[in-house]
Amino acid sequence: MRKILQIIFFAFLSFFYVFAADGAGELRMVTAANFPPYEFYSGKEIVGIDADIMREIAARNGLKLIIEDMKFDSIIAAVQSGKGDVAASAITVTPDRRQMVDFTVAYVSARQMIIVPVDSLIKNGKDLKGKRIGVQHGTTGDTYVTENFHDPQRFDDGSMAVAALLRGKLDAVVLDNEPAMVHSAGNPELKMLEEPLTFEEYAFAIAKNREPLLKMLNDSLNEMMQDGTINEIRKKYAEKIEETVAETAAENSGDGGWKSEWHTNFIKNDRWRYLWDGFLVTMQVSVAAVILGVAIGFFVAIIRSTADLNGNWKIADYFCRVYLTVIRGTPVVLQLLIIYFVVFGAVDVSKVLVAIIAFGINSGAYVAEIIRSGIMSIDRGQMEAGRSLGLSYCRTMILIVLPQALKNVLPALGNEFIVLLKETSVCGFIALQDLTKGGDVIRSQTYNAFLPLIVVAMVYLLLVIIFSKLLEKLEKRLKRNE
Amino acid sequence: MSDLQKNNSVSVLEVSNLNKKFDRLQVLENISFNVKKGEVVAIIGPSGSGKTTLLRCAAMLEKADGGTLSVGGVPVMTDGEYAGKTVLKAGRRKCGMVFQAFNLFPHMSVLENITDAPVHVAGVPKSEAVREANKLLSDMGLLEHASSYPCELSGGQQQRVAIARALALHPEILFFDEPTSALDPELTKEVLHVIRALAEEDMTMVIVTHEMDFAEMVADRIIFVADGKVVEEGAAGDLINNPVNERTKAFIAGLKGE
Repeated sequence: MRKILQIIFFAFLSFFYVFAADGAGELRMVTAANFPPYEFYSGKEIVGIDADIMREIAARNGLKLIIEDMKFDSIIAAVQSGKGDVAASAITVTPDRRQMVDFTVAYVSARQMIIVPVDSLIKNGKDLKGKRIGVQHGTTGDTYVTENFHDPQRFDDGSMAVAALLRGKLDAVVLDNEPAMVHSAGNPELKMLEEPLTFEEYAFAIAKNREPLLKMLNDSLNEMMQDGTINEIRKKYAEKIEETVAETAAENSGDGGWKSEWHTNFIKNDRWRYLWDGFLVTMQVSVAAVILGVAIGFFVAIIRSTADLNGNWKIADYFCRVYLTVIRGTPVVLQLLIIYFVVFGAVDVSKVLVAIIAFGINSGAYVAEIIRSGIMSIDRGQMEAGRSLGLSYCRTMILIVLPQALKNVLPALGNEFIVLLKETSVCGFIALQDLTKGGDVIRSQTYNAFLPLIVVAMVYLLLVIIFSKLLEKLEKRLKRNE
Repeated sequence: MSDLQKNNSVSVLEVSNLNKKFDRLQVLENISFNVKKGEVVAIIGPSGSGKTTLLRCAAMLEKADGGTLSVGGVPVMTDGEYAGKTVLKAGRRKCGMVFQAFNLFPHMSVLENITDAPVHVAGVPKSEAVREANKLLSDMGLLEHASSYPCELSGGQQQRVAIARALALHPEILFFDEPTSALDPELTKEVLHVIRALAEEDMTMVIVTHEMDFAEMVADRIIFVADGKVVEEGAAGDLINNPVNERTKAFIAGLKGE
C-alpha cells in the first residue's frame, strides 16, 4: 500500500515537473518593467538593456525568449518557484540574494544616485542621516538606506518616489543611475547629486542547482562582453536617455499646460491603449469573478441556511464555515498571491484566469453570507406554505424563498460587486495589466504621477456610477409587488 | 351526505397515541382521534394547550415523536416510525393547509400563487391550472384580483386566496390553523362564509379556532384539547351547550362571559 502511495506521489510530482520544465526551446525571463532604461514598455513590448541582452542570449542559443512582467519584489520568488527561468531586472548582487538564487557574472556596474530639490542642503550621502528618503521597494537603494540610515519610504516605482519628492513629502530619493538621470532632467526643480551613494553590480538571477542554464548564460555573457555587444546595447539606450532627457526638458519648458500633459500621457505613442487594454482586463476579471462568486455564494448560503434551519448537512456546513473564516479572515492580495505562486505555482496558467479564480473565491464568501442573511430574513411560513403545497425543500427554496431573499439583499449584493470591481485593482501584484496597472505603465513612461492616477480613478468612478444606476432600476422594478 | 353516511364512510385522518416533545416539554400526549370523509372537526382549547402543534403534526409540517398517523389512507407514521420519502410525499398530496398568517407568496400574483403548485407539483398543464384557478377565484368572489399581488389585498381577501391555493391541489382533507385570528371581525365573516360553503360541499376539514359560534355552526364534532391531551370530544352542539368535563365547562363559560 505504502509503495503504491509513493508511486502515485512521484507520478504527481513529475506531472508538475513536466509543467515546470516545459520550456524546451524557450527561455522565460521575468522582470519588473517599470525601470527604464533597463526594462520598460514600448507599446506592448518590453524593451530595455536587460531585455535586449536576454534577446541576444536567446538568439545565440537558438531559444525563444518569453518575457513576463511582475513586481520587483516578486521576481526572485518567481525564479525560485519555476514561474520563470531567469530574473533579468537590473538586480544588484547582494549576499542576502545569493542565499536565495544563483547569479550570473555581472554584466553592468551601476551606481545608486541621490536626487534632491535644487535648493536642497543635502550635498552627499552623509547628509541623508535623519532625512525623509524615498526608494523603489526591494531595490539595493532600499537595502543600502535601510542598513546605513533608517527605514526609507518605499514606493512601487521610482516615478512615484520622485512625485512625492516634488510635492515636498520627501527630502531625497535614491535611484539607480540611469533612471535618476531621466527624472532629474525631466524636472527642473530637481537635481542629481554628482557623488554616487554606492557602487554595485548587476547580474541575472536563476534558481539554485541549474548548472547547465548558468553555464549557458555565463558563456554568452562573457562572449558578448568581449565582442562589445553589451556595450553597444548600453550605448543605444544611453542615446535614448539623452533623447528622453531632451524631450522631457522641452516639454517642461513649454507652457506645461493641461493640454500638453494630456497629450503626453494619453495621446502620444498611443498610450491610451494601456488604459483601454487594462479596462478590458478589469472588466473580464470583474464580470467573471462576480459570476463565479455568485455561484459559490448561492451554494454555500443554501448549505449554511439549511443547516441553520433543519440541522441537516452538518459536515458540508462545517467545510463552508472553514471556507468563510479563512477567506474573510485574510486580505485578498495575499489570497491572490498564494493562488498564483503556491496553488498554481508550478502550472502555466493564464493570469486572467488566476485573478478570476482568486476574486471569485473571495467574493463568494461575502456573497454567501449576504444571501444567507436574506434567506434567514424570510418568514418561516413561506417555507411551510411551500412544503404544505407539496413542493420539495429544494424547489421551495428556489421558487419561493430565494426570489424573495434576493430582492431583500439586492442593495447589499450590489455593494459587494462594487467592492469587487475596485478590489481587482490589486491585480498588478501578479503583474496582470488591469486598469490600475495600465495607469502605472503610463506613469513609468511619462514620469507623471498625477494625470494617469486621476484618469484611472475617474474610469472606476464612472463604472461604479453606471452600475449603481442599473441596480437602482432593477430594485425599482422588483419593488412593484411590495 | 347525511350524518349516517358520514359515520359509515372511511376515515380520512387517523391519529392514534400521538406524542410530541419540544426538548423536555411534552406538548402532545397520547392523542387519538379520527376524521371521517366529509366531516368537519373543530379543535378548541386554551392557548398553549398544544392544539396548533397537533394540527401541524397531522398536516405533516411538524414531526411527531411517537404514535401512528394516516392521512387519506396513506400510512405516514406507524408506531413512531415515519415512512419513506415517496410515502410521505403521497401523504402530503392528500392534505391542504391554511395558515393563520396566510403565508401567500408575496412575489407572485394571486393567480400565480394558486397555479404554482399544480403546475410544479402535480404536473397540470399551465392552461388548465389557470382555468381552474379562475374558477376557484370566481367562487371566492375574487376574480377581478387575479393579477393583483397579495400586498394589494385585504386580510380577508388574502385568506380566501390562501384557501383557493390549498384547494387547487384537490386535497382530501383541509387543515385550518386559526384562519381568522389575524383578521378584523368584519373580514372574519367573509372567510367564515367561504369555509361554511366548503362544509356544505362535504369537504373534509380540521379547524383550530377560537370562534365558538362558528365552530358550533360549521363543525360536526368538536375536540377540546388542554395540556396536550384530549379532554373532551363530542358533537358540536352537545359539547358547547352541555359540556361534561369541568375544564371544558370552565373554558366555554370563560369564552361566553367575554
